[in-house]
Amino acid sequence: MRIVRLIAWREYMENVRTKSFWAGILMVPIIFIGIFFVQSKLSQVTPTRYYLLVDQTGRYEQAVQAAIDLEYQRKILQDFISYLLDNRKETDLRLTAANTSSAADQLIDDVGADEVSALNEWIVNGGLDFALTMAAPYLREDAPPFVHPPQQFIAATLPEGINDSDSPDEIVEQLRPYLSGEREILVDGRKGEVFALILIPTDVDNYITRPNTMPTQSSNPRIGIQYWGRNLTDTRLPNAIERSINREIRRNEFVKNGFDTTVVRNIQRTRLPLSRLDPTAGEGEEGFSLADAYQQFAPIGFVYFMFIVLMQSVQYLLSNTIEEKSNRIIEVLLASVTPGELMMGKLLGIGLSSLTTIIVWISTLVMFLLFYQTPETQAITRILEVIFDSELIPWFIFYTLAGYALYSGVFLAIGSLCNTIKEAQILMMPMIIMLLIPLTVMPFVVMDPNNTVFRIMSWFPLFTPYLMMNRAAANPPMVDVIGTTIVLVLSIVFVLWLSGRVFRQGVLRTGQPPRILELFQLMRRGE
Amino acid sequence: MTHTQEQVLELKNVRKNYGKFTAVKDISLTIPKGSIYGFLGPNGAGKTTTIRMILDIIKPSAGTISIMGGSSALDVRHEIGYLPEEKGLYKKMAVNAVITYFAMLKGMTKKAAQTRTDELLEKYDLNDFADALVETLSKGMAQKVQVLSTIAHNPSLVILDEPFSGLDPINQQVLETLIRDMADNGQTVIFSTHIMEHAERLCDRILLIAKGQKIFDGTVAEAKSLIPRRILLETRGSIDSLQSLENITEVSKVPVEPGLDPSYLVHIPKEAHPQDILKHCFDHNIALSRFEYAEPSLHDVFVHLVGDSAWERRL
Repeated sequence: MRIVRLIAWREYMENVRTKSFWAGILMVPIIFIGIFFVQSKLSQVTPTRYYLLVDQTGRYEQAVQAAIDLEYQRKILQDFISYLLDNRKETDLRLTAANTSSAADQLIDDVGADEVSALNEWIVNGGLDFALTMAAPYLREDAPPFVHPPQQFIAATLPEGINDSDSPDEIVEQLRPYLSGEREILVDGRKGEVFALILIPTDVDNYITRPNTMPTQSSNPRIGIQYWGRNLTDTRLPNAIERSINREIRRNEFVKNGFDTTVVRNIQRTRLPLSRLDPTAGEGEEGFSLADAYQQFAPIGFVYFMFIVLMQSVQYLLSNTIEEKSNRIIEVLLASVTPGELMMGKLLGIGLSSLTTIIVWISTLVMFLLFYQTPETQAITRILEVIFDSELIPWFIFYTLAGYALYSGVFLAIGSLCNTIKEAQILMMPMIIMLLIPLTVMPFVVMDPNNTVFRIMSWFPLFTPYLMMNRAAANPPMVDVIGTTIVLVLSIVFVLWLSGRVFRQGVLRTGQPPRILELFQLMRRGE
Repeated sequence: MTHTQEQVLELKNVRKNYGKFTAVKDISLTIPKGSIYGFLGPNGAGKTTTIRMILDIIKPSAGTISIMGGSSALDVRHEIGYLPEEKGLYKKMAVNAVITYFAMLKGMTKKAAQTRTDELLEKYDLNDFADALVETLSKGMAQKVQVLSTIAHNPSLVILDEPFSGLDPINQQVLETLIRDMADNGQTVIFSTHIMEHAERLCDRILLIAKGQKIFDGTVAEAKSLIPRRILLETRGSIDSLQSLENITEVSKVPVEPGLDPSYLVHIPKEAHPQDILKHCFDHNIALSRFEYAEPSLHDVFVHLVGDSAWERRL
């Protein structure tokens, strides 16, 4: 054991002493934190966009304006919900809508259940002012004031010389330089690009389609309301306008058919809640809360984390073995220690390096969350608290260790057969593909963790760590848990034994890596 | 630890097959404690394979090996020092750290290993390089460090596979001294080489090996006695009278460049005296322009036993 410790310690020190080791492991948190900042900044810096409206009917301008206002209110409502989630007192993610009495929680639940109805309610009740008054008792004392989001879409007037009574085609032609970005318009003395032109021609009503009528067949793409813009992937504005004008058209139809629009709107807002309940949970805890959702999806994160850690470890192991082999150190070592001691020392040493990596990553995350406190990071902290309170951590530790023992044995054997990393990459490719299979099915496993296919796949030892981790939150049948664990442990013993045989033969080999048949001979000989 | 066994190593009919190819064919030998033993043969003769089997790095296909009273070198690994043919060290480690590490792998405590490392670096003029990384050393210097790593734990048996290759003449001399010192210290040294001069200067006993087969095993003197002694004569006179001497087994003409005196190789048995030949030449007025008598070299022995072509082809 002393020899194993000595080898492990040297392996470990050789790794952690290099600058590339630290550069490699610090790169991951730096990239993640960078992505976090970029995303958070991007969401705050959506630019204000100017639009032009030409309503030749004179009947839909209000509807368009209402749509723009509604979009803005939706943005305020969404920002307010985020503000509420970040700043309410004693946030308990385990509460469900059914067991909370907080008005703030009710609002959050309403938005989650039906945003359209909630938005109507929001406007009817007085919007942000009312919401702030209502939410005040539930906010933390140190909560910052709510910051209004900027207007997203602002109406601009037509440039001089363009007459809104010209034909739609003429108007489009005259505005084309503005729409294509060649020219800019003046809004309140400041120049700006035209984001979109909403053109409602006089004959727009001819294109209204009703049930039991055939839609107008035309090869002309300029039918109905014309929405011109270079950025057609941002669907917020066209969708809002389409919804709003259609709402106006339907309102007119209701009136024409003698319906009271207030009654109709109230009927449309009627709803019945649906409780998602977990039969395996205890009495009173069967409600499906936000925490349950986090816990259900958390295994995906664990599996990804496990994959990164395992891939990094086996890469260390592979490159280290190849280096020792190409440096001709292996023969001296084999005269000093047994192949078993050498292999175990390497597994332990590289395992320690990986553990250091995990510790550095987690410490960086904790430090980041501790020292950079924003609503977003606090939300992440609360989610992590829920995950760490769950029973998933022991599963993660077990399957990561088991996965490491299993895969490292295989990769160590591959390393012993190769003289260069290039040779190793060719040999390890099938293995990597094998390890990617459980990752590709991961989202489906979360949706249906105890599906027969996934249950069968879980028994294949190379998949077991990933798939069982993936299924961990869904209380897999005990037969699966115990059975796959036994198969996994036996496989680890077998793989390490077999790797030992290949390792012993492989490390003294020179020249090309063996062909499949030779590999079997190596395993059989294994002296 | 001391060993009472007279023989440090014994091989009995050891054979190694790789598929249909036989790398080592039924080699048997014994190596006495405290001796310097040379494995001699051209490249590919089976020296390294034999050494690897002795060290239990690879298993023999047949035969038995007894080393320091045990059946496996791994059982007595702390008493063995091994320098492989393919030399290499951890490039990113410092010179003193790498010697200490290998000494610790061989059972020394950290403190003892560090003390011993300092002694060796001092003794072999490497003090200035103690903290240098191995990758910064020249090839010869790195090899010197590796030799020190091999002997740092004071092994009873030291096995050196082609230790002189890659060393400059000065360091070859240092290594020869080191090997002699170890033998004087009671340590057994086995080394392999394809350069016979080193073996001739150092070895008490040698194993001559070619194509995996043992050609000879014994002392250097015994090896030399295997071939008749030869005298080179150069003369314009007639040497026919030499044929009448009893002590001459063979006289053959040696081809020479045009214009030079004719040369003859005279073979005499080991009990004959070269002076008798010289006296005969004086008595019979054979005018000699050259009379050269030399002990046969190990190379001559090898060529005599195996044939020159085998040696040249392998080289």
